[in-house]
Amino acid sequence: MWFVRFLSSSIGKKLIMATTGLLLLLFLCTHVAGNATIYMSSEVFQGYADELHSHPLIVIVFSTIFLLIFLAHIGMGLFLFYQNWQVSKSRYSVTTRVVKNTFSSETMPYTGLIILTFLIVHIFSFTFSSSEVPISVTVKEMLGGFFYGLFYIVSFIALAFHLNHGFWSMLQTFGMNHPRYNDAISKLTLILPLFFLIMFAGIPLYFMTGLGASY
Amino acid sequence: MELNSRVPSGPLADKWNNHKFSNKLVNPANRRKYKVIVVGTGLAGASASATLAEQGYEVQTFCIQDSPRRAHSIAAQGGINAAKNYQNDGDSVHRLFYDTIKGGDFRAREANVYRLAEVSNEIIDQCVAQGVPFAREYGGTLANRSFGGAQVSRTFYARGQTGQQLLLGAYSALSRQIHAGNVKMFNRREMMDIVLVDGKARGITVRDVMTGEIESYYADVVILATGGYGNAYFLSTNAMASNVTAAWRAHKKGAGFANPSFVQIHPTCIPVHGDYQSKLTLMSESLRNDGRVWVPKKGDDKRRPSEIPEEDRDYYLENKYPSFGNLVPRDVASRNAKEQCDEGKGVGNTGLAVYLDFADAIKRDGEDTILKKYGNLFQMYEKITDSNPVEEPMLIYPAVHYTMGGLWVDYDLMTTIPGLFAIGECNFSDHGANRLGASALMQGLADGYFIIATSVAHYLASNSLEEVLGSEAPFKDSIQEVEGRIDKLLQNSAGGPAGKLTVDEVHKELGRLLWDHCGMSREEKSLEKALEELPGIKKKFWDSVYIPGSGKDLNQSLERAGRVADFVEFAEIMIRDALAREESCGCHLRVESQTEEHEAKRDDENYTHVSVWEHISDVEAPKMHKEELKFEFVTPSQRSYK
Amino acid sequence: MSSINLTLKIWRQHNSDALGNLETYDLDDVHTDMSFLEMLDILNEKLTKEGKEPVAFDHDCREGICGMCGAVIDGIAHGPEKEVTLCQLHMRNFSNGDTIVIEPFRSRAFPVKKDLLVDRSALDRIIQSGGYVSINTGGTPDGNSLPIPSSNAELAMDAAACIGCGACVASCPNGAAMLFTSAKISQLALLPQGHAEKKQRALSMVAQMDEEGFGNCTNAKECEAVCPKGISIRNIARLNREYLFAALTEG
Repeated sequence: MWFVRFLSSSIGKKLIMATTGLLLLLFLCTHVAGNATIYMSSEVFQGYADELHSHPLIVIVFSTIFLLIFLAHIGMGLFLFYQNWQVSKSRYSVTTRVVKNTFSSETMPYTGLIILTFLIVHIFSFTFSSSEVPISVTVKEMLGGFFYGLFYIVSFIALAFHLNHGFWSMLQTFGMNHPRYNDAISKLTLILPLFFLIMFAGIPLYFMTGLGASY
Repeated sequence: MELNSRVPSGPLADKWNNHKFSNKLVNPANRRKYKVIVVGTGLAGASASATLAEQGYEVQTFCIQDSPRRAHSIAAQGGINAAKNYQNDGDSVHRLFYDTIKGGDFRAREANVYRLAEVSNEIIDQCVAQGVPFAREYGGTLANRSFGGAQVSRTFYARGQTGQQLLLGAYSALSRQIHAGNVKMFNRREMMDIVLVDGKARGITVRDVMTGEIESYYADVVILATGGYGNAYFLSTNAMASNVTAAWRAHKKGAGFANPSFVQIHPTCIPVHGDYQSKLTLMSESLRNDGRVWVPKKGDDKRRPSEIPEEDRDYYLENKYPSFGNLVPRDVASRNAKEQCDEGKGVGNTGLAVYLDFADAIKRDGEDTILKKYGNLFQMYEKITDSNPVEEPMLIYPAVHYTMGGLWVDYDLMTTIPGLFAIGECNFSDHGANRLGASALMQGLADGYFIIATSVAHYLASNSLEEVLGSEAPFKDSIQEVEGRIDKLLQNSAGGPAGKLTVDEVHKELGRLLWDHCGMSREEKSLEKALEELPGIKKKFWDSVYIPGSGKDLNQSLERAGRVADFVEFAEIMIRDALAREESCGCHLRVESQTEEHEAKRDDENYTHVSVWEHISDVEAPKMHKEELKFEFVTPSQRSYK
Repeated sequence: MSSINLTLKIWRQHNSDALGNLETYDLDDVHTDMSFLEMLDILNEKLTKEGKEPVAFDHDCREGICGMCGAVIDGIAHGPEKEVTLCQLHMRNFSNGDTIVIEPFRSRAFPVKKDLLVDRSALDRIIQSGGYVSINTGGTPDGNSLPIPSSNAELAMDAAACIGCGACVASCPNGAAMLFTSAKISQLALLPQGHAEKKQRALSMVAQMDEEGFGNCTNAKECEAVCPKGISIRNIARLNREYLFAALTEG
């Protein structure tokens, strides 16, 4: 079938990565918007959480879709990682990378795996947390802890690196590479990850440093 | 040897059309019954293979490289001429014809050259339709530039890579036919022999250079598109694999070889810088538009060029040729550079170079303007020599570039062997004694796209060919002969390398001999001396060249040895041809035939002919035949550039 | 002119089936004005004189345009200088006493045939699958009948400058041939002559590329960095776009 042929071609696989990546990026945007309420006050945040959970159907449908997208992204990512590893193992006795600053592109699978680990921990801590304690309290308690907070911060740094290459790579895969916009794109590849890093990693820092004491 | 040029009668402008009509055709349904072999995949070979396959013939194409896309046509820089007159500057088919035949110093066939000019326009259309990215004006129309030897702007170009783009166009057409199954492509095969059955060309014997296997292939028609023989000189601008073997094997089987001494020596190449050097790199002729050529007045002047004051410099081209100055034609510029160096005034480490100085141009127009025009050439020069032409004058010296001589062909591009055709640089047909810039690409594609198919059809339709299967005696004999020659090449290998020579050592010696005696200027005594020394080199080759490895394997030394063996034999007719032509014309300057001002002097009375050499045997001297050239439509005139 | 002494570690492999290894050779008095291939010529002359088998390597025009030469020098395809082929790399880029590791272009789709010589016919087959405009000789319209904006012609020329050397494949961490394939697809997509077949071309060339066993592009940009003709990965973006559009709308 043409669709399967299309998706299983080398470019099709990249398009799966890019499309799912884009959707995940959109998810991050909504998530970061919700999280921003933390910086306002616990009441606002709790209100947001309660409102969200008062529409269980929406939550279930969205979570399922999100899960599927995420699985596709991870599955295809790992598959590509495996395929590429097979090609690159024991190729040259000397390997020199000509392109500078390849850290984020070379570590894509690893930063991806860190994010996956984070996600599992995160979901078990919050999504499936005891419904008796209000979520706003759990957030403060958990993220105020040193090790837990540090784990979050490290994960968000990994996310930033992942986005640093992923965002540009996604646009390249969609065919967006034009001298007129490349400057803007290359700025965005820094701004976007930094934005998410500040917004997300700011939350544990907010609690760890005591800034969120009046939360 | 019968030389019937088969030039059609009638007015010049009607000859080709009449000929196309009078030539016989092969019915489309019958074409698939015919097999055609094409050797070589340069502009001529690739375009011929594609065109014949499109028409329905079963084509087998052979190339020496790992891919048909690498043939040396790819290295042509400047452009391709056509009589489109897009610039509205008075160009026409007739003018292109006249410029080309005059540029060749009236030593080419009128009818052939006219046909070349006629089909030139179709070539441009064809290439544009293939997606060749020619340079364009802002309005989207095709751009032109001017080139040496013409007063109109008729050269189409794709940056400095026109040859590459045209070749890739022909290669893509060929690829399409390979994909369609109409062309069977054989890469990495070197043609070793031609197979004749009943006096007609019916196949070839090749060596698979990867395995050493000797194979023969049969067909109804064989087309050679194997390029020129400039590498006889060892150092030339040709690719390393360019050789004379295919043409020479055909010659030994009966194909006449025309004007072998006509070799174009290009004036602006990067000079030789050491014994280890393997090839010479061309710098575009356009540099002479702004560069001034000079040498120090005193010989052996060791000062840096910038330290030599004006009064100690000799701008010899400007002084000798005040009206053309640095823009004299290629042959004149080359000869004068050699003269200066022979007088000991050459510069550089080897003393075999002259300066091409841009200082005045930079002072006049500014560095930016000059860099805009020549930036990429300057960069290329700097990469090779590590010297920046903006700061120091370039060093240049002439180098062997193109061979106008080649297998003799009639108007149908058929050699003196029935069924054997020669196209592109491999034949002698269109450039006379000197080729104008941007004409080689035109000729290769004209032959391949627009001429050869008519000739092949006519030949097939007017001859009834016996069926062959490739297993007949002539094929077996040919394989045996080739194997025998390879064994002979390897005969010295058993004793190890001690006291032996390498292939390159002998090739360099041959090259030096040809360059010194049969190069830019030729003299009776010197040519005779070369002829005397040649057997010594041949003996040295067969007695003491050591080739490592075996014949049944990839063996690059053996490949080179086979080619050098043929160059050594071929050199004889080159020298003999130069000796026999006691006039100067185009590239060929006989010291004895000069005007009072030391310019080339033609002798139209005695030498308005093509000299065609016939191979008699390995021990007897070759025999020369003449094809008289008749000029019905143009009047030969003496060139003057004063 | 100065000369340097070098230690060369060169991949030697008798044929596709044999196991290869790096052999070490000392080569003295290498002139710095030599090209890399001339240095190998000297080594081969020396090996021949010693009764050893010379190193097999592909080369032809030696002016950087035929695309026949190429090897990986100290881990970089065509060596350390930017935008040159191996034949245009000069020994002045190296210093006295250097050890240079010379390996063939490697990829699953490029079997090593002998020493530094590899089989790149997979690239030819990609072109054969659709890298052309399907027209026969003759009967073509006048060259000026379709105006082409000069900027498009220039972009097409940028892409068409590809010499098919395979350095992009050799340098790609995944052995992908995207830069090569995209260069041809871009050239023809940018010109009106190539428009009629652009969808089919993108589909078949990518299918052929995958079939040959080239890897997946991960946008590592190495190909662009080593390309002797400076071909940009903007062409890869264009290929992605062409392919996506073709896959969704063809038929």
